[in-house]
Amino acid sequence: MDELSPNTQSKNSAASSWRPGQLAFNPYFTQNEAANSKSQCLRVLVRRPFVARLTKDIVETYQVCNPQFKYSEELNPKRYLTTPSSGVLNDGYDNVNSDLILTVNFVLVNLDMQRRYIVKDVLGHGTFGQVAKCWVPQTNSFVAVKIIKNQPAYYQQALVEVSILTTLNRKYDPEDKHHIVRIYDYFVYHRHLCICFELLDTNLYELIKINHFRGLSLTIVQLFSKQILHGLALLKDAGIIHCDLKPENILLCTSIKPAEIKIIDFGSACMEDRTVYSYIQSRYYRSPEVLLGYQYTTSIDMWSFGCIVAELFLGLPLFPGASEFDLLRRMIEILGGQPPDYVLKEAKNTSKFFKCIRSVHNVENGEHSANRKSAYQALTEAEYEARELKRPSTGKEYFNHMKLEEIVTSYPYRKNLPKEDMVKETQIRLALVDFLRGLVEFDPAKRWSPFQASKHPFVTGEPFTHPYKPPSETPHMPVSQNIRVDHHPGGGHWFAAGLSPNIPGRNRVSIHSNPHFQVVPYAHANSYGSVGSHGSYNDGTGLGSSYGSYGDTSNMFAYYSPVGPSGMNMHAQGNVSMLGSSPDARRRIVQYSHGNGLGMSPSAGSFAPLPLGTSPSQFTPPNSYSQVSAGSPGHYGPTSPARGNCHGSPLGKMAAVSQFNRRKSWGYPGGSQTQESSSTHWQGQATDGTSSSQAEGNSQILGSSPSHLHLSSNAGSWKQQRGSSGISAGYLAQNMPASIAVGSPMKFPMTTGVAHEKAEANPSLPDPGDWDPNYSDELLLQEDGSDVSCLTAEFNQGMHLGSAETLVGSGRFNRVPNSSSGPSFQRQNGPIQSYPHVEVGSPPSTTEPLAGCARLSKPSHFMPHISQNSPSRLGQQYQRSNHGRSTNSRGNDWNHMKMQPPSPNFNSGGPHSPGNSSFSNGMSWGHRASHPVTSIPPASRGRKDYGRIS
Amino acid sequence: MENSTQESHLRAENSVTYESPYPLYAMAFASPQTRTRHQHHRIAVGSFIEEYSNRVDILSFDPDTLSIKPNPTLSFDHPYPPTKLMFHPNPNALHKTNDVLASSGDYLRLWEVGDSTVEPIQVLNNSKTSEFCAPLTSFDWNDIEPRRIGTSSIDTTCTIWDIEKGVVETQLIAHDKEVYDIAWGEARVFASVSADGSVRIFDLRDKEHSTIIYESPQPDTPLLRLAWNKQDLRYMATILMDSNKVVILDIRSPTMPVAELERHRGSVNAIAWAPQSCRHICSAGDDTQALIWDLPTVAGPNGIDPMSMYSAGAEINQLQWSAAQPDWISIAFSNKMQLLKV
Repeated sequence: MDELSPNTQSKNSAASSWRPGQLAFNPYFTQNEAANSKSQCLRVLVRRPFVARLTKDIVETYQVCNPQFKYSEELNPKRYLTTPSSGVLNDGYDNVNSDLILTVNFVLVNLDMQRRYIVKDVLGHGTFGQVAKCWVPQTNSFVAVKIIKNQPAYYQQALVEVSILTTLNRKYDPEDKHHIVRIYDYFVYHRHLCICFELLDTNLYELIKINHFRGLSLTIVQLFSKQILHGLALLKDAGIIHCDLKPENILLCTSIKPAEIKIIDFGSACMEDRTVYSYIQSRYYRSPEVLLGYQYTTSIDMWSFGCIVAELFLGLPLFPGASEFDLLRRMIEILGGQPPDYVLKEAKNTSKFFKCIRSVHNVENGEHSANRKSAYQALTEAEYEARELKRPSTGKEYFNHMKLEEIVTSYPYRKNLPKEDMVKETQIRLALVDFLRGLVEFDPAKRWSPFQASKHPFVTGEPFTHPYKPPSETPHMPVSQNIRVDHHPGGGHWFAAGLSPNIPGRNRVSIHSNPHFQVVPYAHANSYGSVGSHGSYNDGTGLGSSYGSYGDTSNMFAYYSPVGPSGMNMHAQGNVSMLGSSPDARRRIVQYSHGNGLGMSPSAGSFAPLPLGTSPSQFTPPNSYSQVSAGSPGHYGPTSPARGNCHGSPLGKMAAVSQFNRRKSWGYPGGSQTQESSSTHWQGQATDGTSSSQAEGNSQILGSSPSHLHLSSNAGSWKQQRGSSGISAGYLAQNMPASIAVGSPMKFPMTTGVAHEKAEANPSLPDPGDWDPNYSDELLLQEDGSDVSCLTAEFNQGMHLGSAETLVGSGRFNRVPNSSSGPSFQRQNGPIQSYPHVEVGSPPSTTEPLAGCARLSKPSHFMPHISQNSPSRLGQQYQRSNHGRSTNSRGNDWNHMKMQPPSPNFNSGGPHSPGNSSFSNGMSWGHRASHPVTSIPPASRGRKDYGRIS
Repeated sequence: MENSTQESHLRAENSVTYESPYPLYAMAFASPQTRTRHQHHRIAVGSFIEEYSNRVDILSFDPDTLSIKPNPTLSFDHPYPPTKLMFHPNPNALHKTNDVLASSGDYLRLWEVGDSTVEPIQVLNNSKTSEFCAPLTSFDWNDIEPRRIGTSSIDTTCTIWDIEKGVVETQLIAHDKEVYDIAWGEARVFASVSADGSVRIFDLRDKEHSTIIYESPQPDTPLLRLAWNKQDLRYMATILMDSNKVVILDIRSPTMPVAELERHRGSVNAIAWAPQSCRHICSAGDDTQALIWDLPTVAGPNGIDPMSMYSAGAEINQLQWSAAQPDWISIAFSNKMQLLKV
């Protein structure tokens, strides 16, 4: 009757000397259903078992024992997921970085949907805010929620991501077949925009790290390549540039499907015809045209894609440039050749990296003959140093071979590979080289499109017999527009002015910045002063000037500096990553920096385009377009040479700049106001502490535009920090001050710098030669669970329970265990990182975003939120009150009434109201006035925060 | 195999029952060292009475005569039903002549159990308010470092006490929800289970981190009890609330249980590893059964059957298998405590 008698089992238990006898116990027998069902029936339990009553129900039990017994869950120590965890902003809900302070089981609520998101953990964080893993009781599932900082700029930028992703999901990929992350929901909670995404798994960088920075098998590389190409093809169709494609932004899915991946983080994305920002893409994955400051299209994502494919195979980045100079040097060395002359001739930053060895005239003539030798020669390190007065940082070489072909073909094979497989692999490697050649192609016009690349034998798996000739791409070519655009409107001006384009950044900077920065703090004065035109005037200065005078980059800088807060954040993060000390630190930094740069830019551009399915009108920007051009240009006047440019070439990069202007103007019917507002903006930020009164009225408009500025500024600072060669000391100086004003940024740069050095010093990057080729990445194909378990297993082995020392918990999640011995590259954020887009300017104009969103889904809902949100976090909120000056903007009036921020912001003139004007589009909102917007100051709930218990 | 008459005969000789005036829950054997002084084994049992005032009785078990005798002078009042009782693992280390007993409930309490009296030693209370109390669901005495007791509380924390100094060594927010049980693995390593459905391992040398080695398949299905295999620290066992499963974990392969023992016909209420074997574990539950399992090296396709079973007269609430008397398993059901020879 016993299936497994003790005797049977005893065979198995030979190892154990002791066995229980059959004394009080009987041999187990499979119980008879009939007999048992009876006895079971008798045992209807009225009460729960004691063990449950003294655990799960212990409070109830004790209360029965003693009615006086009291337990308060509120008193429980809280486990903070956000650091710092002290609430100093937003009625105690936000920390000093404007991050919502999350604790385990904190509940985010989408009031419209009545949906609750219970925070379980933080998956990552960035300058944009945090990403939390949340449990949704309603759907019984986990999701990833990106909780954006309570700062207008981030808010705005995040809206861009919402709009782009919503469009991509709904319009272009309704069936979820293109490997783009799904967006589920978004809402505002305690003034934080929360975006809800499907929960994904490990990112590809982590995957490589798990594999100890050894490359993945070609099968997997091919599998991933195909999927990424699916996504990129969709993006191209949609005319969207991701702008930050890298292994960290490609995540494994949690689904059971083997090795399915998705592209995430559209926080930096922009529409192809709105390429506002020039400082984009993470450095290792940055395309030559972006590096050089040339116009760009979706093909920059293809470059990044090539870099990713190579990295998946090699386990290490193909172009781990320690600086832009180093990056370019590596490209030239590994690929042979250099960017085509037509790019070099036009690109803004050409002079930073190349010298002209023949006259431009010749170059132009030379365009007819393709084989002509280039008129440009890359600067040597010494030349660069002489020109930039700064030694470019260069990184370590990780590969023994310097040519792409050799790097790929001589990469160590897996051990014990059978002969046949070896031959096969060799063939596929040749295909891979050919594939990469079409992706990391200097000439953006010749670089393959996703469609072309997807037909390559490496992807299709067909035998590779001869170099691939791609089919011609069916011309969607939104690009053409851009092509004509004059990138350097500014450049043109300078030339006119007799300035040579070669002038090092710093010079430019000073010029630019002066108007901007200096003015900025006291922007008021300016703006006011120049009444009438002033609005525009200021704008002109700020924006216009930057454009015209500098290349994109320089513009960037100018903008950036104002951004105090964002700058800070970035730095901070940068530091963190740096701490990792691994060589990677650089990367991280890069990332962040990008983030900033990127983040910002897209918003401007993207919104406008919103053609994505959303009606442009909802977004603030749309209106402005037309208006903008009209209003702003005239105003600029002498100060900003740029504006001329703007007008002329709306589309070009410069156009981006010009967009700023536009935006500003959009809001306003009256151009002047807008401008003012913008100026205020800056101030606000600079000052930070003070509340900006001015901003209000204008703010709306500004809202959007200002943010841009900020962003850019960050970028600027970044560069500095990174020590990217491009930026000269001059920049630093300017930036620094700006940041200082803001707050703490100063220290960051310092730190980063240090960290950076460390990182470089670190020899930690594994030499490929050292790797043990004997690994199986088959594992990787298994469900992640297995990976995890492997890791953990490793981990655990490390810790012998027996020994006293053993058990060291590594992160709470198994996946996290940093046991991986290799070089510890740490990228800070978990799988889901997005970059923060720093936008400073716009106030919590939740409204705006909402509006945008609204159109996407449900416009009306948002309104209420908005009102709440409006108060900007710093306490300076403000809003849009118009000071007398803005006569006409009804938008303003409206704002006034409804939006009064809790804080005393309204001073109209207060010189220091830095405020971020939260509103971005006063105007557009104006018509919405009808909606009941009540500004409800969040009730300050008494928080009982217990410190961490250590 | 024995025939049925032999069985009943054997059972009569191999089990002892003590009947208490009240339902019993907590139960503890005195440590082996104390036996030498008392000639019998001491067993402490705690009542489960739904009143403030509960009782702890100290019983004497004589394995030779198979008798269990109460010591009325050693019974004492205990506020609330104790959630756990434990004797000092090595009282000789204390240079005390008497046993020391710990109990958990509203607070952690230490009692000195003399020959004829029980004196409270101290109440270890880490609460900052007197108005509110976060009850302790369990505790474990560190037998390598007996000055350490770790408690688990519904306030999501585990508190490590230095009982010699009477101070908190550390308090960790161990889980996202109530913590229901705690078990030491080594001097500085403990594990805990929680209403959040996870088993986590902590190392006092790195308090910032823990390792999750198991999460219940349905998020937030509470794990009620945890038993760490003292003979082979790679293994531990846990039970889920309202589940007939005993989950066996190998800490080297987190996430995936090495075995799930599913032969109980009601929810499992208690588990205990054999003190003298690394492969045997006993479980008991609402199906009135206590099952002894011999963990096979490889589980068959139909799951694992227990090697032997015992049916009690009622739902079994408690189970102890003490190193002090490795041949005896004690169970508690209704108002009875029963010792079963294995």
